[in-house]
Amino acid sequence: MAALLRPARWLLRAAAAPYLPLSLRLLAGGPGRPHAALCLRAARARPVAGGLLSQARLHSIAAEKKNYLQEEPTSSHRRNASQFDWALMRLDNSVRRTGRIPKTLLQKVFDNTCHSGSAGGNQALLLLRSCGSLLPELKLSERTEFAHKIWDELQKLGTVYDVSHYNALLKVYLQNDHKFSPTDFLAKMEKGNIQPNRVTYQRLIAAYCNMGDIEGASTILGFMKTKDLPVTEAVFSALVTGHARSGDMENAENILTVMKEAGIEPGPDTYLALLNAYAEKGDIDHVKQTLEKVEKSDLYLMDRDLLQIILSFSKAGYPQYVPEILEKITYERRYIPDTMNLILLLVTEKLEDTALQILLACPISRESSQNDFGSFFLRHCVTMNTPAEKLKDYCKKLKEAQLHTSPLQFTLQCALVAQKLDLAKVLMKALKEEGFPIRTHYFWPLLVGHQKEKNVQGIVEVLKGMHEIGVTPDQETYVNYVFPCFDSIKSVRAVLQENGCPHDDNVFSQAELRSKAVNGNLDYILSFLESNTLPFSFSSLRGSLILGFRRSMNINLWSKITELLYKDGRYCQEPPGPTEAVGYFLYNLIDSMSDSEVQAKEEHLRQYFHQLKEMNVKIPENIYRGIRNLLDSYHVPELIKDVNILVEREKTDSRKPSSSDLESKLEKLKAENQPIGDILKQLILMLCSEENMQKALELKAKYESDMVVGGYAALINLCCRHDNAEDALNLKREFDRLDSSAVLDTGKYVRLVKVLGKHGKLQDAINILKEMKEKDVLVKDATVLSFFHILNGAALRGETETVKQLHEAIVTLGLAKPSTTLSSPLVTLYLEKDDLPAALESTIDCYEKYKILPRIHDVLCKLIEKGETELIQKAMDFVSQEQGEMTMLYDLFFAFLQTGNYKEAKKIIETPGIRARPTRLQWFCDRCIANNQVETLEKLVEMTQKLFECDRDQLYYSLLKLYTKKQNIVFDNETYARLINLLLMKDNSTQAMQVKDFAETHIKGFTLNDAANSLLIITQVRRDYLKDALTTLKTALDLDQIPSRLAVTRLIQACALKGDTESIHDIQKLVNGLEDSIGLSRMVFINNIALAQIKNNNIDVAIESIENMLTSENQTVDPQYFGLAYLFRKVIEGQLEPALEKISIMAERLANQFAVYKPVTDLFLQLVDSGKVDDARALLQRCGAIAEQMPILLVFCIRNSQRPGKAPVMKSLLELIPELIDKEEAYTCLMKSYVFDNDVTSAKALYESLTAKNVKLNDLFLKRYAVLLKNAGESVPFTEPPESFEFYAKQLKESKETHL
Amino acid sequence: MAASAARGAMALRTNIGRPVAFVRKIPWTAASGELREHFAQFGHVRKCTVPFDKETGFHKGMGWIHFSSEEELHNALQQENHIIDGVKLHVQPQKPKALQGDQTSDEEKDF
Repeated sequence: MAALLRPARWLLRAAAAPYLPLSLRLLAGGPGRPHAALCLRAARARPVAGGLLSQARLHSIAAEKKNYLQEEPTSSHRRNASQFDWALMRLDNSVRRTGRIPKTLLQKVFDNTCHSGSAGGNQALLLLRSCGSLLPELKLSERTEFAHKIWDELQKLGTVYDVSHYNALLKVYLQNDHKFSPTDFLAKMEKGNIQPNRVTYQRLIAAYCNMGDIEGASTILGFMKTKDLPVTEAVFSALVTGHARSGDMENAENILTVMKEAGIEPGPDTYLALLNAYAEKGDIDHVKQTLEKVEKSDLYLMDRDLLQIILSFSKAGYPQYVPEILEKITYERRYIPDTMNLILLLVTEKLEDTALQILLACPISRESSQNDFGSFFLRHCVTMNTPAEKLKDYCKKLKEAQLHTSPLQFTLQCALVAQKLDLAKVLMKALKEEGFPIRTHYFWPLLVGHQKEKNVQGIVEVLKGMHEIGVTPDQETYVNYVFPCFDSIKSVRAVLQENGCPHDDNVFSQAELRSKAVNGNLDYILSFLESNTLPFSFSSLRGSLILGFRRSMNINLWSKITELLYKDGRYCQEPPGPTEAVGYFLYNLIDSMSDSEVQAKEEHLRQYFHQLKEMNVKIPENIYRGIRNLLDSYHVPELIKDVNILVEREKTDSRKPSSSDLESKLEKLKAENQPIGDILKQLILMLCSEENMQKALELKAKYESDMVVGGYAALINLCCRHDNAEDALNLKREFDRLDSSAVLDTGKYVRLVKVLGKHGKLQDAINILKEMKEKDVLVKDATVLSFFHILNGAALRGETETVKQLHEAIVTLGLAKPSTTLSSPLVTLYLEKDDLPAALESTIDCYEKYKILPRIHDVLCKLIEKGETELIQKAMDFVSQEQGEMTMLYDLFFAFLQTGNYKEAKKIIETPGIRARPTRLQWFCDRCIANNQVETLEKLVEMTQKLFECDRDQLYYSLLKLYTKKQNIVFDNETYARLINLLLMKDNSTQAMQVKDFAETHIKGFTLNDAANSLLIITQVRRDYLKDALTTLKTALDLDQIPSRLAVTRLIQACALKGDTESIHDIQKLVNGLEDSIGLSRMVFINNIALAQIKNNNIDVAIESIENMLTSENQTVDPQYFGLAYLFRKVIEGQLEPALEKISIMAERLANQFAVYKPVTDLFLQLVDSGKVDDARALLQRCGAIAEQMPILLVFCIRNSQRPGKAPVMKSLLELIPELIDKEEAYTCLMKSYVFDNDVTSAKALYESLTAKNVKLNDLFLKRYAVLLKNAGESVPFTEPPESFEFYAKQLKESKETHL
Repeated sequence: MAASAARGAMALRTNIGRPVAFVRKIPWTAASGELREHFAQFGHVRKCTVPFDKETGFHKGMGWIHFSSEEELHNALQQENHIIDGVKLHVQPQKPKALQGDQTSDEEKDF
């Protein structure tokens, strides 16, 4: 927001000049002589026609009005304010980044403002101000038109204009070189009852001056005189322009003298006016002289002033002088955006050659081939219809200059986006000449445009263009981009022939086939496949065919088509052959369907498989297994046996014995009177897996006396799969007789219940449920889900009694608790029959019995759809009474949303007093996600904007989930940024990156804010994408963002661990000057650079540079603060022994020779901290001064006492340096550590040694110790201080403060 | 509700145990054919999708490469630079979104 509101940085220059006294002295003067006055210097806002006014100058005036938001004391105050913030943010972001506003953005903000129905004064001001030089991509006249449109529309909305709006409009006129009558303008203001102010007059003078009308300007000056208004430098500058444009250069120059006489020193604005005047005359000599004069003075011109002179030369037709001015550019930091805007402006003005000249002179690093420069120029040239040949030449030059790696490709992309066929053709030919391939999809964007308008001629032109370039349309081109434009494919063929559009008949026919398949025209498919003469691969048709199958449920056609594809050599010739191809097809077919779809089409699918079997179609066993798993997960295991019949038995593993082998073995054993139980069971299991029910049952009958429990279990299951309720039930009885205590596993019980229920054997099914209860069969979540599927299946078949009785039994037996899911089939029963009163009754009944309201949402939706007002009322009354009004409102809200009655939904959610119910909102979001309801979810997000206590992040997150699922939705910058931030916070960086990519593709110049970029860096570092992290950091800094300290530190540390010294240096350069804002210590760099060098085996370099820093004359960091603990710790942790040795030597040398003790002490402490106590002791012996570094040691103690698990470290430290115990800070910390880690022994020892020394211990210390002892169940050898910890801590603090 | 839960599970199941590379920053000049050609050097590309936006006629800069085996995917991920039409692609493994109990990878592996 800041860039728009804060007075721009360069205003400081004006502000820095001493304020002049506010005395008013009028000069006497004839015509052409200005009336001048001294005045407070105003901002350097200069009215140069069509000028390259910086945006910040323009918007700085916004800062004049600081009472922005107070100005609308209406009831809509809050909404207007937030809307204003939003609009401002959008425009501000653009301006800050690029110094310009894209037309589309301004249009969008304007449209949104209109849409909202009202605009505050400031919002209007903002929009108006945006219509001048901030739109370099628009022709001057278009900009003014835009301003007028905004003016009129907002007035219609009731915006009240004040003088600032008129002034803004005036400024836009000046910037856009708009010719208008100042007197008419004044009249218009008068009519609006608005008093002109100084700024108005000043701008009117500028307007006259721009036309070279000195007389007019003088009239206005006269006005100002009568009103005692001060005359500013801006007026003088305008007069310079005025005289010059009236052809009087002499008087133009004289103005400077007049100014001085009036006591105003000509500033940069005045000189710039003069320079522009010379430039417009093509007077390079005077320009150079004046520039020299300025250089010698204490004034200075900025790059953007020089760019202004360039513009003046170019527009006046003197491009030959541009290079001389370019030489003087100093390349300030903000130069590039300004230059880009000038380049765009020049292209808009059809001065593209000059624009290129300036572009080529830009100081862009040519080494990194990654970043192309000049794309904005090429894109704008395409928009402005620059001739193709010129563009080709520009591309060549950009490439030669190594500014852009692929200018032709980029320009082509722009041409395609803009749907410029002729330009695209020229560029494609150029690419082709350079040896680049021209691909079919290059033409798709061109076709898309015509397809939307159903412009047949346009399509034909593109197809002809393809032919011209030598590209043949492929199937996708026809199916996705050509056919949709026509009513029928037949007419496509006719039109193509009529227009002489060559096409490959084969490709065309196959495209037609795919198109028909997708539309479910299976008759066509079959006849085509039969008559087709050209072989093609089945797999190329697979996707479309699956869609077609699912659209048309004609099983006979399904089978015939499958058979043809399977058997006909034209389609399955290639390896791996027809078995694989058809198997894979079946798998994909089922995989593409949802579970409910498969359940609904169960019979159809069964029929299909059986027809395939009859046709002798086979599939490989491994694919069968995949299909089996799919069917299992869809809760339709009954279909498994029907797929099983297709398995290609011949190819099953020959090493395994076949069922016939086993059978003969069984007979042999039987004949020998040997026990056959085992082999019988084995054989039965095998037959079961082969789905051979008949054989298995025969075998059981034959050897009944030898059957075991396991065999029965498998057989029961097999019969269930084959929907054979009768045998399943009999087998179950035999099973019970064999062993009444035997228990089946849960799945088999459930299948029994299902089959029995389905076949109307309700009592038997209920008996099974009872047995489950009696035998305490494990009921898992999946079992409950299976119960639901059993009930739901029955409900869909309309079996009222089955649903009711089984549900009743399950619930009464306590196998499952009634829930909205489990009990929903009770309602589904009636919903399926469209019996809404009964459905509602059933829901209410459930509430009365179980306090749940299954499918209330669906019931309500249906009631709304059918307009059953009375029933809706009944339902609402009931909900309201039982669950409260809020629940009722939510139910109604969701039902309206779901049925597309958005107006009604909105009314409900805006009911006063309603507040957010997160779980209910989440429920609806999840529902939308599952059912791909993008619009509904978007509406929900939109309507809940003002909902009290609503978690917006959560809603946006849901939207995002749906959006990533659908992958084709475009948000605005704000939403994307919000989503990415959210994802990063949820630590889902992959998805965050996906969204960022989407955003970058869809929104030009997409950016993240500081916080998001920091999070992104941290995530990238964690995932080890260090290069990406570095790029993110660069991007953030380029946007003048301040990344977080944590982000920068993590990145530096990660680079160090990789030994990447170079990147650390890069980062150091990048953040140079920002260290304090980020909160980054120099030591971070010193530690990590050294660590990186060590990792690279440059130990000596690292050590030498640290030593130099600590011993040189001009130290940048005080040795006392030169903390190397991080480096030492990493070296110790990494067991970098040689480095550790050398560091140790260095630290000792620094101590012994230079009396710098900080490093050696830090090293010592790190050794102690890592448990290397012997090394620490040795170091201490060599360098006794360590023990005297009390401040460092104490800081270490205090830090460690705040972390758990540090008691051993503290103990070691105390052993090494016993004199520490004399320090109050130290022993306090020690006790704290011991208490932290429950180290009673050490604490006791400490206490005793302290009391032996007669140390007076404070209450806090005693309290800690006492609590430790008490917790350990030991007695306290003194009276425990009675107050709380906080009390003593406070007491201690206060006593210390009074001591000071 | 239960049905939609199961549908959700189905959507999740699709990528489990399947070696898929997720590719970003694909230049507009390249489509699935170019990607397939490039990634064929690392192994058998079973499937390669670069979805196009039917509204614009351009793709969205991202795509998915389905390899036959983990090893092939690994080969592709090992290579530091993947460049098509002079543009560096971003290649990363497609993370399985969730694990589901009753599916085993060996059963699905064959196709």
